[in-house]
Amino acid sequence: MAKRKAATKALTNKSCRQISDLVFDYLNEKLTPATKRDFEQHLSICPDCVSFLNTYKKTVAVTSSVKVEQLPPKVRENILAFLRKRIRRIGAFLIFLATYLAA
Amino acid sequence: METFEPMTGPTASVETEFVAVTAGGLEPTLRGRASARRKRPSGKDESALIERLKAGDQEAFEAIFDLYSPKLYRVAQRILGEVADTQEVIQDVFWTVYRKAKSFRGNSQLSTWLYRLTINAALGKIRREKKHSKEVEYEEYLPKFQEDGHHLVRPVVDWSDTLDEKFAKQELQGLLSAALDQLKPLDKSVVVLSDLEGMSDKEIAKTTGLTVSAVKTRLHRARLFLRGKLAVHLGYSAA
Ligand SMILES: [Zn+2]
Repeated sequence: MAKRKAATKALTNKSCRQISDLVFDYLNEKLTPATKRDFEQHLSICPDCVSFLNTYKKTVAVTSSVKVEQLPPKVRENILAFLRKRIRRIGAFLIFLATYLAA
Repeated sequence: METFEPMTGPTASVETEFVAVTAGGLEPTLRGRASARRKRPSGKDESALIERLKAGDQEAFEAIFDLYSPKLYRVAQRILGEVADTQEVIQDVFWTVYRKAKSFRGNSQLSTWLYRLTINAALGKIRREKKHSKEVEYEEYLPKFQEDGHHLVRPVVDWSDTLDEKFAKQELQGLLSAALDQLKPLDKSVVVLSDLEGMSDKEIAKTTGLTVSAVKTRLHRARLFLRGKLAVHLGYSAA
């Protein structure tokens, strides 16, 4: 109990740095109940860490929404054409090899 | 250098594989099923597809191609940036799949193998062609703290609600894309797999060969860097 109190004190009094280290697990809901309580208690008295948390979350949200180019049909066709050509070439080579060995 | 380990290739002899593939009927089925959109198969359907591919079934090969190429393209495109490079990477990946299918053991998921091949090929390309020259020191954009653990610059501004007002959507996309491109290639891969593809840390670890804790550390630092970049663009301190 004394240990927990000390930990809480450390977080609430001086450790915004710790908060920034814990944010990742906090958002993944991976903090132990005790650490989570300390984390949230710190937030309740530290507007700087609230801002930090909000902007961190916003960054993740914006990153997730970055538009990515979808596979264009033309590129899909190019890739398939490439693969077919290679496969054909191997087929031809194997037929040649079989003929050669049989001869 | 990055701690990323290149994937070790399967060992089956190339000729043996090719013969096996040929025996299953090589040429006929690749053509003509271009735009058929397939639903994602269940695990059972997928293992059936893999078994057929191992037996040299071209239809199965193309079914797997159509199932996964859109996703893998998206990932490679995000990491590499250029269409030509991305096309080359996806070609290489599926060529490898075709040749090495027989040595796919099935103790990992097909998707993990495919993502892993894609990440490897993309990072290999960047490394070989030294395409990543504009790397930025993260430090400048990470939060800073006083000795007593408080934020160095106070107050920390909460710009989470004003970001969308300040930038047009397009502009924000461009800004973030540019910031993503400044990440170390492996870090960028981790961000893409996590925040864009929605993979868990564990899945990312399997895909990249990193430990779960290394994935977390990289992802966290990369996010802090991106956050700092956004803050600076808004005219605030990254700290
Ligand atoms: Zn704080």
